[in-house]
Amino acid sequence: MTALTRPTRTAGLPGRTLLRLGPVSLQVRRRAVLVGVVTTGLLLVAGVLSLSLGTPYVATPDVLRALSGAGTPYDLVVLDLRLPRLVLAAAAGAAFGVAGTLIQSVARNPLASPDIIGITQGAGLAATIALTSGAAAVLVAPSALLGGLAAAVLLLALGARHGLAAQRFVLAGVAVAFALRAVTEVVLLTADPIDGLRAQIWLIGTLAGKGWTETVWIAATLAVLLPVLAWAGWALNSSALDDDTARGIGLRPVARRIGLAGTGVVVAAMVTAQVGAVDFVALVAPQLARRLVRAERPPMVCAALVGALLLVLADLAGRRLFAPTQLPAGVLTAAIGGPYLMFLLLRGRRRPS
Amino acid sequence: MLSTRDLVAGYDERTVLDGLDLDLPADAFTVIVGPNACGKSTLLRTMARLLTPRRGTVLLDGAAIRDLPTREVARRLGVLPQSPLVPEGVTVADLVGRGRQPYQRWWRQWSADDGAAVDRAMALADVAGLADRPVDTLSGGQRQRVWIAMTLAQDTDALLLDEPTTFLDLAHQVEVLDLLHRLRAERGRTVVAVLHDLNQAARYADHLVAMRSGAVVATGAPREILTADLVREVFGLDCVVVPCPVTGAPLVVPGLTCPSLAGPTGAAAVPAPAAVPAPAAVPAPATGDSVVAGAGNPATTSPAEAGAPAHPAPAATTPVARHP
Repeated sequence: MTALTRPTRTAGLPGRTLLRLGPVSLQVRRRAVLVGVVTTGLLLVAGVLSLSLGTPYVATPDVLRALSGAGTPYDLVVLDLRLPRLVLAAAAGAAFGVAGTLIQSVARNPLASPDIIGITQGAGLAATIALTSGAAAVLVAPSALLGGLAAAVLLLALGARHGLAAQRFVLAGVAVAFALRAVTEVVLLTADPIDGLRAQIWLIGTLAGKGWTETVWIAATLAVLLPVLAWAGWALNSSALDDDTARGIGLRPVARRIGLAGTGVVVAAMVTAQVGAVDFVALVAPQLARRLVRAERPPMVCAALVGALLLVLADLAGRRLFAPTQLPAGVLTAAIGGPYLMFLLLRGRRRPS
Repeated sequence: MLSTRDLVAGYDERTVLDGLDLDLPADAFTVIVGPNACGKSTLLRTMARLLTPRRGTVLLDGAAIRDLPTREVARRLGVLPQSPLVPEGVTVADLVGRGRQPYQRWWRQWSADDGAAVDRAMALADVAGLADRPVDTLSGGQRQRVWIAMTLAQDTDALLLDEPTTFLDLAHQVEVLDLLHRLRAERGRTVVAVLHDLNQAARYADHLVAMRSGAVVATGAPREILTADLVREVFGLDCVVVPCPVTGAPLVVPGLTCPSLAGPTGAAAVPAPAAVPAPAAVPAPATGDSVVAGAGNPATTSPAEAGAPAHPAPAATTPVARHP
């Protein structure tokens, strides 16, 4: 009886809007659109702030004029020094958000992220070896990428035997992370002190002195993976279902998990190789986005925007808080991430399940 | 509809089903019964292609199910696993909507058919009023109806359910079984369920499959095959089978296994458990009547109690409706 009084759901599920374009129909959560728009606005504000704050200070109108290509005395500072680093922060933060979303959804665990399951540590070990062995500087990023992917292969090999079941996947990742970190420490201790220090900074993760080259690599990775990510955004909808239920509705859960986790680790390894081991963005951004959207799983696009905002703010704070001393962005993200973890633990399961 | 040929299935080292041949009738409510670990869930999971058989085939309308694309199977065969995991925070309409997965692609995420099917499924399972509630805040009985609605949204001819009434109180068990009965009787769906309660199986099933140690012991209409001998053979339990006072379906009343349980009537007539009484030795008419009355009461009164929260009328009338 109640059913008759309700409108039919031809317009999609509650809280969603249906976008139609010929044969294409996409379901979009209305709250996700709202969160996306607000986050984009905040990101733009943070971006302009990041371009104007610093020594020298550039007033907002001048920043906007420089961006519009009008030609100002501030072009060098704004366009050549600050903009590349800002864009890199946004791109890397977005990539971390995407990687974290994919990995957390597969692991069904808000604590899973590339820096917890060993991808970051694999990249870190390879980068440390490259930095302390006197290899050319251009080889650091490719080595880190290979290191991250190697750690991912090890992890998938350990976890895939059991269909990448959530618990085993996370535990295998934690084990891989610890083992790789131990090896990294050994390499650091035996290395030349100066090289060791450079490696330490890489391991914390910093955007200083980086810009367009790194951005291009990250953007290219995301662009190439775009069709996969479009599929992943849809596939994530059923990632919270158990395997039997998923098979019952015609899915292949193991293949799907390997696809999602594989995509996540490729993105994570690539972005870590470019900016170093910036912790916690991949951990925090998806869960923050999930809470804002009030969804049952992290929404990918919002997580990317939140990740971008977090890293832009972290880099800005790192540059300005103790100026002229510059803190690596990784220190700031860790400073945000630590309390966030405590919040997760304290909040716990207040809701009866 | 669904058949198995020389089916061998199990987990790791353990073989549970060893060469099973079975044909399940279309347009019937089939109930699979048997003791714990007899392989009834394994059979259901293998037929639903949740478990890959080691040997043999499952046939869906004559075609080997493993040769069919899993999406196509999902449009013809719905499955409700034993204890599905409720995603945290997901709403009822959202979860029921997942049942439309086999009709969707990432570029075609919703159609008018999807909307209509979700509405139909929620109305049928009587969860339309809960559409916007998070599933993890619902009671066990409501949750189970939501899961059934999800499988109904798949629009399949057949529905397989693994112990859909376990963990529910008696009133909610009756509610779920009534729903399954209506699906068969009013919508012509083929329903296959694993149940623990023999008396519920006898009341609701058109076709009964009794299993023991991975083999089928008997199949057929409950009134024809459910006897004290069958119960002893399958469960190793002595009992009396009498006609149910409400529906006339066979009613299984376990024999007295502890002499101290005997009430004031006819205690002396029941032999000690170890003595393995012949069926004739147990049912002195007085004993039978008093025990049946005791067992019959909950069956007749419970639907009324059950109905109070959700829908009193259908639950209370269904047993009468099924009276032959």
